[in-house]
Amino acid sequence: MAGYKCARCKQKVEIDLNVRCPYCGHRILFKERGAGIKHLKAR
Amino acid sequence: MEISFSRLDEDIARFTLKDATPAFANTFRRTMIGEVPTLAIEDVMIYDNNSALFDEILSHRLGLIPIKTDLSEYVRRSECSCGGEGCSSCQAIFTLSVEGPCMVHSGDLIPADPKATTVSTDIPVVKLGKDQKVVLEARAELNDGSEHAKWQSTLACGYKAYPVITIDDNCDACGNCVEECPRNVLKIGKKSVEIADGKLEDCSMCRLCEKACMASGIGDKPAISVKPDTERFIFVVESDGSLPVKDIMTSAFGIIKNKADSLVDVLNEISGAI
Repeated sequence: MAGYKCARCKQKVEIDLNVRCPYCGHRILFKERGAGIKHLKAR
Repeated sequence: MEISFSRLDEDIARFTLKDATPAFANTFRRTMIGEVPTLAIEDVMIYDNNSALFDEILSHRLGLIPIKTDLSEYVRRSECSCGGEGCSSCQAIFTLSVEGPCMVHSGDLIPADPKATTVSTDIPVVKLGKDQKVVLEARAELNDGSEHAKWQSTLACGYKAYPVITIDDNCDACGNCVEECPRNVLKIGKKSVEIADGKLEDCSMCRLCEKACMASGIGDKPAISVKPDTERFIFVVESDGSLPVKDIMTSAFGIIKNKADSLVDVLNEISGAI
């Protein structure tokens, strides 16, 4: 499952039913980038 | 066939092609646009990108950056001795690692081959805010414009038929056509209207002069007539900087010749001449 980061307190958050930071209650979360290399065609 | 240049710079050429058919002129134009190979970024490996642009848009923007191409150094991936796996003969590698806040420009792409650099260092790629960064590796390869527009070596490449303006003896130099001409090709002479010096090639053959002449009511036919010469063409070729215009033209002629030769071979084979 993709990890998220709270936009206010920067804590790592997992989303289940509610899109809300369990630490500060903020509702804006950033999806974190995966560790792998992304290979794309430049088109 | 004869070519006479009125302008030949590194990036732009204007010339007249004489004793050619319209079919050949169009073949030449199409070959310069779609068949002359250049380098362009095709594969992008993104290690990190937390900028405002998605990875896909970023890689698309990188693909459109013109790259200086030495046709003697590179071959197409499909024709390379490495079998298409990728080597220094069929691909040019660039790395980009920039941290914001700043604007990432094409000049930030660091080439592995110092000859295969970006044409301009000032093309904006992405704007980075504080703590944003882009780390990637890009691979450019040789291909042509018929595959994708990013491999086109020409920007503006077109031709028009050479204008032939004839002025009859019954012209009374009323000047209506001179006033009507939007490109100031005509001037009033001593007895009749004349073509202004060095202005003939500017004529777009809009024929407003003919209409103005008819409106003046001299006779049934206009005293001035504009017709295209179907054996002479004025070309304008503009390069994106990846190749000099002279190389684009030479390469295009070579491609046409090879295609014509292979067509002759096929026709000979069909007719059983070989």
